[in-house]
Amino acid sequence: MLELREVDVAVGKRKILSNINMVVKPRELHVVLGPNGSGKTSLLNAVMGIKPYEVIKGSIIFEGSDITQEPPHVKARKGVVVAYQIPPPIKGLVAGRFAEELMRRFNVESSYAEVLSEVLEVRDLLSKYLFDKMSGGEKKRLETFLTLLTKPKVALLDEPDSGVDVESLNRMSEALKVALSKGTSMVLVTHSLHMLRLLRDHITSVHVLYGGTVVHSGLYDEVVPSIERYGFSGALTQLARMG
Amino acid sequence: MDRETLLKALNKPSPYGPDVDLSRFNVGLAGEGVLEEGEVDKISSRLGLGSGLLRKADYLQVNESVLSKFMREKLTERGAVVLPTSEALKKLDWVREYSWRLVKPDTDKYTAATKLYGNELGFFIYVPPGIKIKDPIYTCLFITRKEYAQLLHNIVVVDDGAELNLVTGCGVPDQPLGSLHVGISEYYVGRGSKLTYTMIHAWAPDMVVRPRTVVKVGEGGEYVSYYVIYSSVESLQTYPKVYLGEGAKATLNSIVVGVGKSVYDVGSAIVLEGKDSAGEILSRNLGRGSSLIYARSRIEGRAGPSRGHIECLGLVEGDNATIESLPEISSSSPEAVLTHEAAIGKISEDLISYLLSKGFSEEEARAAIVKGFLNIEEPKLPQQVREVIKRTIEYIASKAVG
Repeated sequence: MLELREVDVAVGKRKILSNINMVVKPRELHVVLGPNGSGKTSLLNAVMGIKPYEVIKGSIIFEGSDITQEPPHVKARKGVVVAYQIPPPIKGLVAGRFAEELMRRFNVESSYAEVLSEVLEVRDLLSKYLFDKMSGGEKKRLETFLTLLTKPKVALLDEPDSGVDVESLNRMSEALKVALSKGTSMVLVTHSLHMLRLLRDHITSVHVLYGGTVVHSGLYDEVVPSIERYGFSGALTQLARMG
Repeated sequence: MDRETLLKALNKPSPYGPDVDLSRFNVGLAGEGVLEEGEVDKISSRLGLGSGLLRKADYLQVNESVLSKFMREKLTERGAVVLPTSEALKKLDWVREYSWRLVKPDTDKYTAATKLYGNELGFFIYVPPGIKIKDPIYTCLFITRKEYAQLLHNIVVVDDGAELNLVTGCGVPDQPLGSLHVGISEYYVGRGSKLTYTMIHAWAPDMVVRPRTVVKVGEGGEYVSYYVIYSSVESLQTYPKVYLGEGAKATLNSIVVGVGKSVYDVGSAIVLEGKDSAGEILSRNLGRGSSLIYARSRIEGRAGPSRGHIECLGLVEGDNATIESLPEISSSSPEAVLTHEAAIGKISEDLISYLLSKGFSEEEARAAIVKGFLNIEEPKLPQQVREVIKRTIEYIASKAVG
């Protein structure tokens, strides 16, 4: 469905990601882990085509077509949608009306919106302006809601867990499970091992991004406990030893 | 005021806005002003008022001719009056008590010209005590004649405990006329009464527009205004001033969308004269083309406790438009709390990127952002009026540019 083939990414003249390979099939959940600054957000933005991130080598294939140079809105309309880590406030644009507009554009049935809205508890947020005067957790829940509301074929989720309390993490995980069950594949960037535990049974593969490249990809049980125990650099040494 | 003083005032420029030579315009001509319904509809659709205006407007004036002055049955029964000002002054002696009291005829050349040559054309509306007219009253003032001076004098009296929702559309067909529109408006809001006033302007690139509005709000009264201008104009200058009595409230909203080479000098002023009064000025200014917008706002605290707030935001689209935001707060009372915030910027690339990532094209993203920027929600306006404003803002947003 979505395939990254030897992708290099640059911002201006500076190369920040090298030789990224990933294959995401229908209903799969791929997790990207890595220390701060390892390039996780850059990877999602580059896949989406958001400026200033630019794919300078390799290709992004979606459903058999090369979409590397397609603009973000075309990718979104094809079914690749990113959830921002920090969505910007848009004063004057009422969240509920924006949600309705997305439902209309992506032809989403209201029963699905109802389920997501209930799980993510966003009802009260829909009367506010988009991401304006909201707490960090509220922004995350609303952004996850809006992204999943488009019923994407592949959702790129950029740290939906950061700054979110345990109750909200549980809700977020439930929402991802709902979307997975409806056929959405996901690439999830996260720091939350708690959230990973909640999603454990659904995770296809865990990719460790380190120094701008994917240094290891493996199953949850192989990768996550090791990172939990030794940290990123320690875990990578362990994983290398294990071959 | 004697004629000599007024004649002298004909040379008195306004302290704001480009000075205009009034000899460019023909004044004091009797006008036929008869229009085809299709022509009226063309202007009214520019104002977001829809078609069939000739049949539904409560007051429609084209040039100097009053084409319709329907007194809806329910208004007559309830004692409300809608008349041309000249007729009201002739028929009702007491109307003189309200005429040229808030606006002095020698304020500047435009007020003087209106007093001298305007023949008291314009509308007069009176709502008796305790009568609440929820359905909006529509007054429309159109110009179709070239190099013509439309000099109007409007008086609105909302008596104690009464309510009125007034909508005024002023416009011309979308073609060059080189005419002048001056509207002197004196509005009286009684004790515990409420007036909402929505004004939408649609002019042409060579029009000169100089409205002069003063409002007096009595004890516990409320005044809400909503002004929208989104068309080209040679120059438009206005600075409505609202005086608030004890416990009175006012909210002045304005949306100015600058286009072409137009100059807009749009102000709003509130004077907190009574204790416990409160005023708020909200303005949104969108600069397009090579337009120049002066966004003035002023709140004066003369009594306390009282409070006032100014929020003036500007958005510049393109490279050639200019917005100057000039908020002022002034207090002579230690118990008046006055605040202001002002910001001018361009459409943020972050916002565009965000909307692109949700499937909006760049054009759609810009339109959505502009629509959000211009959206000043005013729940105190009747639903029908909010719909008119919504349609107008959607039209403006659809013209968003990079």
